[in-house]
Amino acid sequence: MIEDDELNAWFVREVLPLERALTSYIRRNWRVPEDVLELRQDIYEHSLIGARRALPLNARAYVFTVARNHLINNAKRARIVPIDTMADLDAMHRDIDMFEAERALTARDELRHAKEGIDKLPPKCREIILLQKVDGMTDREAAASLGVSVETVRRQIKLGMKALFDHMAGGSGRIVRKSYRRSADHEVLP
Amino acid sequence: MRRQEAIEDQALDWLIRRNAPDWTQEEQVDLDAWLDEAMAHKAAFWRADHLWQQADRIRSLGIEHEDRADDQEPRRKWWPAAIAASLIAAVGIGGLAVAPRFSDQPAPQVQQARFDTPIGGRRVVPLVDGSKVELNTRTVLRTAVGQRKRDVWLDSGEAFFDVAHRDGEPFVVHAGRQTITVLGTKFSVRRDKDRVTVNVLEGRVRVEDGEGTMGHAAIITAGDTAISHGASTLIAAKSEERVESALAWRDGMLSFDQAPLTKVVAEFNRYNRVQLSVTDTATGRIPIGGSFQASSVDSFTRLLHDAYGLKVERSETTIKISRP
Repeated sequence: MIEDDELNAWFVREVLPLERALTSYIRRNWRVPEDVLELRQDIYEHSLIGARRALPLNARAYVFTVARNHLINNAKRARIVPIDTMADLDAMHRDIDMFEAERALTARDELRHAKEGIDKLPPKCREIILLQKVDGMTDREAAASLGVSVETVRRQIKLGMKALFDHMAGGSGRIVRKSYRRSADHEVLP
Repeated sequence: MRRQEAIEDQALDWLIRRNAPDWTQEEQVDLDAWLDEAMAHKAAFWRADHLWQQADRIRSLGIEHEDRADDQEPRRKWWPAAIAASLIAAVGIGGLAVAPRFSDQPAPQVQQARFDTPIGGRRVVPLVDGSKVELNTRTVLRTAVGQRKRDVWLDSGEAFFDVAHRDGEPFVVHAGRQTITVLGTKFSVRRDKDRVTVNVLEGRVRVEDGEGTMGHAAIITAGDTAISHGASTLIAAKSEERVESALAWRDGMLSFDQAPLTKVVAEFNRYNRVQLSVTDTATGRIPIGGSFQASSVDSFTRLLHDAYGLKVERSETTIKISRP
C-alpha cells in the first residue's frame, strides 16, 4: 500500500500535468459539457484507487486507460443516455499523438496559462486574488484593505479558484453559475 | 449539485481555511478525517492545493500595480472596471454571434433528392458528401445533404449506409419517430411501419426516440442491433454474425440462423412478387438455417420439398407451403 504522501506526490507530479489533455479528451468524447468535471474527478478518483496498490510505471497510459474505460462504462451503463451524449471513443489512438504535443507544455507555458486565467477573472475577484498572491496578504488583511468582510473575501477567492483552475485545465475560465440545459427539440420531418 | 462538484466545493472551503494563518491543529485533524473518507476527497483537495500553489508563481511575473485597480481607492475602482468588463463581454459575445454569419454566405446549398426501389430491387446511391447508401427492396428514401447538416428520411424499407466522416457534421437518419445519428460509420436501418431496426457493422451510432416527453437515446456499437417499436428500444448485445447475416441482402442473399419458417417466408416476400404462405402453424415453426438467393423463390421451395418433404402448391401469384 502506497502512503498518502507518496501518492499525493505522484498525483501532483505525474497526473495533474495531464489535466489539459485529459479534459480535452473527455470533452471530445462526451457531448454533455456539464459532465466533464464529474467525469474528470471520477477518473482521478479511480486512478488514485488503482495506484494506491502500486504506482503505475507509465502514468499517462494508465490514466488514459482509466479514462477510456470510465467513459465506456458510463455510456454502457446508461444504455439510455441523455441526448447529445455521443462517444467516438475509437478515436483514442488518434488522440494519443495529440497528447504528446500537449505534454510538452513547459513550466513557462503553465505560468502563462495561470496569468491569462487571472487576467480573465472579474475585477473584484481578480483584485482579491492579486492581493493574496502578489502582495501576500491573508484573507483578513485583504478584507481589511478592501473594507469588506472575511466571508466576502473567501467567497471571491473560491470563485476565483474555480475559474482559474478551469482555465489552467484548458477551459474557458469563466465563472460559471448554475444553468439548466433543455434537451434539444428536434424536428423529424423536413 | 452533483457528487464531484459538491466535493470540489468542500475541498475549496477546506483549502481556503487551511491557508489562513489561524489554522489550528484540531482543524487539521478534521481535514485529515475528511480526506480519509473517500479517495475522491483526496483527488479534489490535492488537485486544488497543487493548482493554487502553481498560481503563486504569478508573483514572479511581476504583475504591476498599474495593471490593477488603484490600491488607494480599490472600492471605488471596482465598479467602473466591472462595467467596462461587462461591456467588453457584451461586445465579445456580439462579435461571436455575428462572425459565423459572414462565413455562411452564400446561403448553404442543400441538395434534396428522393430515391426508391421496386420489389426485389437493389441500388447504390452515392451522395454528394461522399457517403454511399445502398437501398434494399421496396425502399423509399429522401435525402437533404448540405454544408452543415446531412439528413436522410427512410420512409419505408431498408438501407445500408456507408457514411463519410466529416468533423462536426453529423449524418442523421430519420426513421419514423427514431433518429439515428452518426459521425462516420457503416450501418443499416430497416423500417417496417412502426418498427425500426438498426444494425451496426462498423463504428458507433446513436439511436434516439424523437417523440414523447423525454427524448432518450442509446448508443450502439459494431455488432449491436437496436430494435425500436414506438418508445421502446431493445438492444441486442454484440453478435457480429447476426449483424452480418442481417446485412446479407447486400449480396443478394438472405441468411438465417435457425429462424422459424414463417419469418423466412416473410423475408422472401419482401423481395418477390410471388408471395409465399405457410398454411399451418406447426410447419411455420420449422427452424431454417442457411443462405438463400433472395430472388430465387423456386430454388428455396425446392429445398423445402427435398429436405422436409413439404408440399408446395403454385399459382400465378402465390405459393402455398403445407404438410404433405
